[in-house]
Amino acid sequence: MSHEPFETQAPAYALDALDDDERAQFEEHLARGCDACAAALREFHETLADAAGDLTPTVPPAHVKAALMRRVAASGGRRASSRRWRTMRWAVGTAAAVVGVSAFVAGLVASRYEARIGVMARETATVRADLRAQEAALRERLGVAQTVVGLLRDPATRIVALRGLDPTPTATGRVVWHERTGGHMFVANLPQPPAGKAYELWTITGGRPRPAGVFTVDMSGRGSHPVAPSAGPVDVFAVTLEPEAGVPAPTGPMVLASARQ
Amino acid sequence: MAWAGAELIRRMADGDADACGAFYDRYARLAYPLIMRIVRDAADAADVLQEVFWEAWQAAATYDPARGSPEAWIVTRARTRAIDRLRAVRRRGETFVAPLDEAVASAPAERGGDAAERAADRTAIEGVLGRLPEAQREVIELAYFGGLTQTEIAERLKEPLGTVKTRMRLGLERLRDAMKATS
Repeated sequence: MSHEPFETQAPAYALDALDDDERAQFEEHLARGCDACAAALREFHETLADAAGDLTPTVPPAHVKAALMRRVAASGGRRASSRRWRTMRWAVGTAAAVVGVSAFVAGLVASRYEARIGVMARETATVRADLRAQEAALRERLGVAQTVVGLLRDPATRIVALRGLDPTPTATGRVVWHERTGGHMFVANLPQPPAGKAYELWTITGGRPRPAGVFTVDMSGRGSHPVAPSAGPVDVFAVTLEPEAGVPAPTGPMVLASARQ
Repeated sequence: MAWAGAELIRRMADGDADACGAFYDRYARLAYPLIMRIVRDAADAADVLQEVFWEAWQAAATYDPARGSPEAWIVTRARTRAIDRLRAVRRRGETFVAPLDEAVASAPAERGGDAAERAADRTAIEGVLGRLPEAQREVIELAYFGGLTQTEIAERLKEPLGTVKTRMRLGLERLRDAMKATS
């Protein structure tokens, strides 16, 4: 393997200072498995990390951590033992104890209360299950909202409009899109897919569609779907109707598409 | 202490939010001065800092200790994101206000220059970088903190490209050797 021009380029690559063509060549060289360059690069990255540690300390503002931790919690990160969960355990424990004592007392005092207590317990369980479902739904919506706000803060984020095509001309959609971190798609006015079918999103790069997940819509025709970053810059977003398990390449009618970027 | 950081990243990959908090506590003070040095605006820097750790949380499963320390992992992310922000600010500047990055680069004093920011501006000539010969330090800083390529640096300094390339390589090699000697 010709190594000659590359060994001198590792420092500039680590500094991200190579011009585009040189960088592409260097990356190709790395991709071919040049251990010497990979090792040199590692060393330079460690050097730069050390140099960063040598900058004058500046204390980050406290609100950053608070916001980060809220986002992490919303994304489903669990805490080993949060106050919330301790409170919940306490509440559930207390409730269980109350129900237990009540049943015991009721049993002692009069059997006719038992039926009533049974009904109440069932009602309580139903209410609790409903609340849990509602909380989960709200959390999910909050997570989506936070993700989108986070995306919109980044000036590199674009909003790509999707237009309804022949089968569903009134359908509309938007993709809040960041080339590097991905984004989120929202659709409206899409009919509910027939049984066994779902909508599938595609990111099209250089004419090649890549599957970006299946989704469905609610009774009002609305839906949303997270979009992972694609391997290359996305030219077009498109939605087709497919079998509900999803397919690796589009087969069904296209219902939504963006204009070419 | 790298193993402790790597362990935190492993726990983050498992979805442990407490590990994410601990990881932030340990590495934010490494990333933040660098971000601040690059974007030079406290509000932008705070945004970028949050993005960097949010991405670290999401990408924790892809961290490979064999490919670098947690310090290098987070610093590389911080630098990339900060430069993205810097370029976006420059683009905005070009589109809506006046041409050019010099205005942005020389603006920190007007843009709410508190003591912390002035300190961040000074950092460049402190520490290990400050011990490099001026000409080598300059090209490294223009690349690493300013996001310029070798060609752009050569144009700006009105120096031959070959000279810039040599200075950059010698400077970073020297820095590496100095780090090795102290560790």
